[in-house]
Amino acid sequence: MEDEISREPRHLGRALCIITGASKGFGRTLAFQLSCLLKPRSVLMLVARTTEQLNQLKEDIITLYGGQNQLDVCCVQADLEKKEGVEKTVQAAKETSVSEMDHLLLINNAASLGDVSRFALTFTDPVEVNRYLSLNISGALSLTAGVLQAFPRHLGLRRSVVNISSLCALKPFPSWVLYCIGKAARDMMFRVLAEEEPDVRVLSYAPGESLDTDMQLQARRSSGDLQLRRSFSSMF
Amino acid sequence: MSAVSGFGKALVVITGASKGFGRVLALSIAPRLAAGSALILAARSDDKLQELKADLSRGESGLTARCVAADLGCQAGVERVITEIRDIDPDIDHLLLFNNAASLGDVSRYCHDFTDVDEVNSYLSLNVSSALCLTAGVLRMFPQRTGLTRVIVNVSSLCALQPFPSWVLYCSGKAARDMMFRVLAEEEPDLRVLNYAPGPLDTDMQLQARSSSADVALRNSFSVMHAQGQLLTCDQSINKLIKVLLEDKYPSGAHLDFYDL
Repeated sequence: MEDEISREPRHLGRALCIITGASKGFGRTLAFQLSCLLKPRSVLMLVARTTEQLNQLKEDIITLYGGQNQLDVCCVQADLEKKEGVEKTVQAAKETSVSEMDHLLLINNAASLGDVSRFALTFTDPVEVNRYLSLNISGALSLTAGVLQAFPRHLGLRRSVVNISSLCALKPFPSWVLYCIGKAARDMMFRVLAEEEPDVRVLSYAPGESLDTDMQLQARRSSGDLQLRRSFSSMF
Repeated sequence: MSAVSGFGKALVVITGASKGFGRVLALSIAPRLAAGSALILAARSDDKLQELKADLSRGESGLTARCVAADLGCQAGVERVITEIRDIDPDIDHLLLFNNAASLGDVSRYCHDFTDVDEVNSYLSLNVSSALCLTAGVLRMFPQRTGLTRVIVNVSSLCALQPFPSWVLYCSGKAARDMMFRVLAEEEPDLRVLNYAPGPLDTDMQLQARSSSADVALRNSFSVMHAQGQLLTCDQSINKLIKVLLEDKYPSGAHLDFYDL
């Protein structure tokens, strides 16, 4: 297996590749880029809340890569803020069958910014904060747990888990308390996972703050902190 | 009482006050408060809070201690604490909020066992959300004004900085809290915000840690610490904390560990 990889162009194996928040932005672009790196008869599972965008993405990917790659693209409409959404996604993963699967790749990308027009002192409602943490922390942990349990460690199976992180995991930003909290918690969560499971490849990847996405748009329009809003706008 | 040896006329709020670190904190800080101060003690156990109040009344006079039986894991609990401070005389020199209430979570299980979103949410509700919402509520009740020093302490941990196997909930919660208070410190330059990691304390939480942790190495190292008398008493740790608070030189938003001081 090792020799094969060093001789051939880089690829991600015969995989089950799961991307959450796949319908737009970074997740969507990832889906395209990963499609051409998966060996034939891999399964690309795209998870998001909006069915139409997922289906459109699936069509676009199959048009570009599907035929030649024998890539099975599977859409899962799920809200990862909720228990049912996480369970539905884990169940869908269990039901995929990749014969001779050698790679499980889970990309925890789904996230929300939270209300960045407000400062920490305005967050007096635990229900609001809990909802935010449910998607951005709990959903990611429970999904990762469910998927790892569904595909336990065994010889010949590489398991990789990616956490889409941020500079906000490391550095505090005014008016971004929820997002910073979520990212800091996730980074730690995945560090604990890495300690516990030496066979799982765990990566927290911060993609950079100038991504041209809806989240960036929200950041530069809505941030309560004037300085932050200015510095985001100056990137465009 | 001079500014260096005490906090003057203060409103002090301590969560998780019924035992362990919170309880000793209440007893240690009381002598540092001038007459007319109020001490709000929040925890789930009303019985233990009443015992603490009785113990406090043997000490300083002129100090009002109020017990608030509340489960901070739910919205009503947070609201009950805020309501309790509503009628406190606002003519105070110092406001001190000690976010101490916390739980270890189920340390007998690993990351891959936490498949239930609701269970994780319940943990975060107490250990993360309530700290943010309580802090926000308290500060809104006592806004910035000249002559008032507002201090927010987060009882943190080495676990906020370093991952420990079988401790995913606790580590994530502590990491989240440290960041939360760092953002608060950035946003509100007049506040004094401290993330204080108290060191390994000889408390019920430690007992749970050394008897329940799934990770054998961790469990053993806690047991050894306990057996060899290396655990700190709450008094030892709190003495350092109070000293740091009275000196008031720490950078707001800093993470300070008992062993740094």
